[in-house]
Amino acid sequence: MPHLIRAPLSHPGWQRWPGTLLAAAIVLLAVSGAGALFWQAPALEVSELWGSRYLRSVVLFTLWQAFLSVTFSVLLALPIARALDRHRQFVGRALLLRLMELSLVVPTIVAVSGLVSVYGRQGWLTAALQEWLPAMTWNLYGLNGIVLAHVFFNAPLVARILLQALESAPSAQRRIASQLGLGSLWLWRSLEWPSIRPVLPGVVALVFTLCFTSFAIVMTLGGGPATSTIEVAIYQALRFEFDAGRAALLALIQLLICGTLWWLVLRKGLNTALVPDRQLSIGCARPDAGGVRKLLDAGLLAAFVLFLTLPLLAVLIRGLPGLTDALSPSGLATQGLQLLKATALSLGIALPAGAMSVVTSLLILGAKPGSGHKPGTRLLETAGYLPLIIPPLVLATGLFLLLRPGLGVADEGLALVALINAMMALPFVMQLLRGPLRNLDPASIRLADQLGIRGWYRWRWLHWPRLRRPLALSLAYGTGLSLGDFGVIALFGSPSAPTLPVLLYQQLGSYQIDAAAGTGLWLMIVLLALFGLFNLVGRPSTKTQRLKGPKPLQLETSDA
Amino acid sequence: MRFPTARLLLALLLPLAASAQTAGELTVYTYPSFASDWGPGPAVKEAFEQQCSCQVNFVVLESSGDILQRLRLEGDSSEADVVLGLDTGTMDTARKTGLLASHQIDTTALELPIAWADDLFVPFDWGYFAFVYDTEKLPNPPASLDGLIAAPDDLKIIIQDPRTSTPGLGLLLWMRHVYGDQAPEKWAQLKGKILTTTKSWSDGYFSLFMNGEAPMILSYSTSPAYHMAIDKTERYQAANFAEGHYLQVEVAALVGSSDQKALGREFLQFMLTDGFQRHIPLKNVMYPAIDLGPELPEVFDRLITPNQTRYFEPAKVADNRRAWLDEWLDAMTR
Amino acid sequence: MLEVRNLTFTYPSNDRTWCFDFQVDRGQCIAIDGPSGSGKSTLLSLLAGFLPPADGTITWLGQTVDQLAPWQRPMTSVFQEHNLFEHLDVQTNIGLGMHPGMKLSHEQNQAIQTGLQRVGLAGYGERMPSALSGGQRQRVALLRALLRNQPVLLLDEPLTGLDEDTRNTLRAMLLEQKSQGITMVLASHDEEDKQVLADSQWSL
Repeated sequence: MPHLIRAPLSHPGWQRWPGTLLAAAIVLLAVSGAGALFWQAPALEVSELWGSRYLRSVVLFTLWQAFLSVTFSVLLALPIARALDRHRQFVGRALLLRLMELSLVVPTIVAVSGLVSVYGRQGWLTAALQEWLPAMTWNLYGLNGIVLAHVFFNAPLVARILLQALESAPSAQRRIASQLGLGSLWLWRSLEWPSIRPVLPGVVALVFTLCFTSFAIVMTLGGGPATSTIEVAIYQALRFEFDAGRAALLALIQLLICGTLWWLVLRKGLNTALVPDRQLSIGCARPDAGGVRKLLDAGLLAAFVLFLTLPLLAVLIRGLPGLTDALSPSGLATQGLQLLKATALSLGIALPAGAMSVVTSLLILGAKPGSGHKPGTRLLETAGYLPLIIPPLVLATGLFLLLRPGLGVADEGLALVALINAMMALPFVMQLLRGPLRNLDPASIRLADQLGIRGWYRWRWLHWPRLRRPLALSLAYGTGLSLGDFGVIALFGSPSAPTLPVLLYQQLGSYQIDAAAGTGLWLMIVLLALFGLFNLVGRPSTKTQRLKGPKPLQLETSDA
Repeated sequence: MRFPTARLLLALLLPLAASAQTAGELTVYTYPSFASDWGPGPAVKEAFEQQCSCQVNFVVLESSGDILQRLRLEGDSSEADVVLGLDTGTMDTARKTGLLASHQIDTTALELPIAWADDLFVPFDWGYFAFVYDTEKLPNPPASLDGLIAAPDDLKIIIQDPRTSTPGLGLLLWMRHVYGDQAPEKWAQLKGKILTTTKSWSDGYFSLFMNGEAPMILSYSTSPAYHMAIDKTERYQAANFAEGHYLQVEVAALVGSSDQKALGREFLQFMLTDGFQRHIPLKNVMYPAIDLGPELPEVFDRLITPNQTRYFEPAKVADNRRAWLDEWLDAMTR
Repeated sequence: MLEVRNLTFTYPSNDRTWCFDFQVDRGQCIAIDGPSGSGKSTLLSLLAGFLPPADGTITWLGQTVDQLAPWQRPMTSVFQEHNLFEHLDVQTNIGLGMHPGMKLSHEQNQAIQTGLQRVGLAGYGERMPSALSGGQRQRVALLRALLRNQPVLLLDEPLTGLDEDTRNTLRAMLLEQKSQGITMVLASHDEEDKQVLADSQWSL
C-alpha cells in the first residue's frame, strides 16, 4: 500500500454537511419568515382573492411584462456577448464590462432618473426623434418604459453571464475553428451554443423572476394602476391594510408561479460538467472576427454602449453640481463628511454581506449530497433561488415577527440587514459561480482523484486558480447589491446614522434635490470603484500565467 | 425543574432590561426626512436634551406607514416611547391597535385649520395637499379641480399611488370629499392627464418632476416655500384650487408600553413650543402646529391660502378607505 | 503480483459487458491490444478505480485493492493526452504527483529539477502546458508518473502520435522503471512498443 497523504477537509462530510446545513438554514429562514405571516393571519379568504378581477389582471400583466422583458433582454444580450467574445481586445472593453456589471446594482431611483432624462418626454432621445423623425411617436410611460427599464437593468447582466460562458468554451475546439476558418454559423452551432445552453435556462429564470418581482420601476414608468405587479399588491396589503393573511396569500401566488419556473429549469438539470473545459480561455483569433462582421459588431457594440451609458451620463450631469458642492473645501466638513460616513457605514454592511453570500454560495454549490439523494439536491438548488421569489417585505416582516424579542435597534439590526442582504444576493452569486465551479472536466477530475488532490487541496490547486475572476465578480455583485439596498435597512429601522441609500432618501424627503443627485452619483462612483477593485483582485492569476508561459500561441497551434 | 430555569433566565435578562432603560433615554420612532440632517430632528433633539437632561434617540423607519407597522409588529414589547410622524390617514388604525397612551397634555397652543380634540394624538405640523407646477412650463395652471379634470389631455400631471403613498391617499380623499359618489367618474376623466402614478412622492418629485417630465405634480401647498427660501427660486408654485384643499395633520403619540411616560409627555408638551416648532417651517416644509408669530418665515406669507379646508374624520377614512381604493382601481383600470 | 480475476463491467448506456482475467508478475509488463472500442481504456479505468466494476477482484501482492478509492491504489496512470492541469505550470503539475498539496521537501524539489533535466526539459519548470509541444507534455506526464513512485504503471497509449525521438526517450525511461521492479499494464497497438516493453501480450 502506498503511504497516504490525507488532504485537509477531504472527509466526505465536509463536502456534504456545511453546504446542506446552510441551504437548509436559508430555506428554513425563508419559509419561517413567510410562515410567520400566515400564523399571524386570522383567516384566509382564498376564494375572495381568486375571484378578484383586479388580481387576475395583475397576475396576467405581471407575467406578460416579465415575459417581454426577458425576451428582449436575452435577444439583446446574445449578440452583445458574441461580439464581445469575438473582439477580445479593444480600447475601453474592460470599462464596458465594468459598466455592464454595474447596471444591475444601480439603485432604482437613480437609474430611473437617468432613463427618464434620455427616453422621457423631455429626454434627449425623444427630442432627437422629434427633430429627425417627427412621424414617430414615442411614449416612455406604459409597457414600453417598463420593458425598457428592465432591459436596461438585466440585458447587461445576461450578456455578462453569457460572455463568461462563451469565454469558457473549450479552447481545443476554438483552435480547430481557428484553423479551419469556419464561419459564424458553424461557430455558433459547434462552439457557442453548447457553451451557452447550460447557463441559459438559469439566466432566463433569474431575469424573469427579477422582472416578475419588480416594483418601483413598474409603478414609476407604468403610467397607472393598470400596470401593477403582485408585489405592489403585497406592499399595499402589508403596509396600508395590515392584512398579513392577504399578503401571505399573494406571496404564495408569487411563490407558486416563480417556483414552478425554477422547478422546470432545474429539472432540466444544470449539469454543465458535460462541457469539457480543458483550459482557461486563451486569446485565440476567431475566424469570424474580420471584415463586414467587424463593422457590424462595432456598430452593435457602439449602440449598446450608448444604451448603457447615456442614462448613466445623465446621472453624472445631474449629480455633478451636488457632488462637487459636497466635496468642495467648504462642503467637506458638513455634507462631504456625512457622505463619507454614510459610505463607511454602507461598506461596513455591504462587504461582510458580499463575503457571506460568496462563501455560502461556494459551500452550497460545492456540496455533493450522497449519490441518488434527491431531496438533498433539491434543497441545495432551492436555497439558490428562494430568496429571490419570496418578497423581501414578506421575508423581513416575517423574520421581524420571529426575531422580535431579541432584536435591538442598533448593531444587531445592522448585522441582520447584512445577513438578509447576503441572502438576497445568493441567487446572483450562485448563478455566476455555478458554471465555473461545476464544469471541471472529467479528465481533470480523474487525474485529481488519482493524485489524491482532494478536499482543501482540490480547492486550492484546481478550483481557486480557475475561480478567481468569477469569485471577484461575485463578491462585487454581492457587495454592490447590498450597497444599493434601501428596502431591507429601511424596514428594520436604522439608527440615525444613515447608509448611502438611506441618506439619498433623506435628502429627497427634505427637498435636497441637488444633494440627492450628488449622493446618487457618489453611490455610482463607489460601486464602479468597487467593481474595478474587485476586478483587479481577480486578475493576477491570468497575468502570471501569461508571464510564465512565453510564446503560447505559436506552439499551441503548431501541434494541435 | 421549570422554576430554576425561569429564574436563571430572569437573572440573565434583568440586567439587560435595566441597561436598556437607563433613566432619561427617550426612543422616538420617526420617518427619514424628519431625522435627517436637513430635517428638524437634530435641532429638536438638541433643544429638548438641553431642557430635560435626557437623551433622545431617533429610530428611522421608511415611512409613516412603517412606523405604525413596526408598532403593531412589536406590540407591547415596543422599544418606542413616542411615535412621531403618523398622520390623519393612519391615525384611526393606530388608535385601534390599543397600543397608545393618552397624552394628558395642554393643547391650547394648537393653531390648526380645524378644531382639534383628541386624547391620544398631538399634532406637530400640518399642510394642504396641492398640485405644484413649473411656472416656466405652465404659466396658466388650472384654477380648480374641475378645471384640471376638464383640461385637454396634453396637460400632464404626476400623482402618487394611494395604495403606497400618503399624498396619493390624500388626493383620493380630496376627490372624494369634493365629488362624493361622482369621484370615480371624475377619476376616469382625469386618467388621460396622468402621466404616471409613482410609488412614492420622492420617486415622482426627483425622477420625473425635477427632470421636467410633466409641469405639475401632486405635492404639498408648502413645497414652494422651500424652493423660495432655500433654492431662492419662484419657479415652482402651488396651484390654488377653487374647491379648497385637503388637509393633512401630522401627529405624535405616547406609546402605552413605554416606561418613560413622564419624559414622553414632557416631549409632547415641548413639541407645542417655539423650541420645537420653529424648525418645522423650513426643515419639515410644513405649517407649524402653533402660532409662531414673527418667527414664521416670510415665504410662508406667499403661499396659497385655500378658501376651504377639505377634511374627513380619521374614523371615516379608516372605514371607507378599502372601498374608495377599490373604486379608484376600478375607475383607473377600466 | 497484480491479479485481475473475473473483473466485469457493463456500460449502462449500451449494455455491453466486458470481463477481464489476467495477472502480471512484479517488474513485468503486459501489453493489451485490440481495436479501438475493445475495452482497453475501460480496463485501465477499472484498475485505476475511475469506474466501479460489477463483479470480480483486483489484488496487488495478495491484498484486495478493488474497494479502494483511486487515490488509495498503488497505481499511476498515463493517458494518451489530457495528463496535465492546463492552468498550472510544469513543476506544479509534477509536484502535485508527489504531494497533493504541493508541500514538497527540498529533496523533492531537487528531484523535479533533475528529472526535468533528464527528459530534456531543463528550465521548463515554470512554463504552462499550453506552451509545450505534445511530446514535451508526455515527457512531463511520464516524469510525474515516475516521481510518484507507485509500483504499478497504467499506460493508455502513452506514446501514440509522438515523434520518433520522444518515443525513444520515453521507452528508455519506461524500460529503466521496469528494471527497477515497476509493474506495467500497457494498452497499445504499436508493434514496436510491445516488442520493446512487453513481456506478455493479451488481445481483447
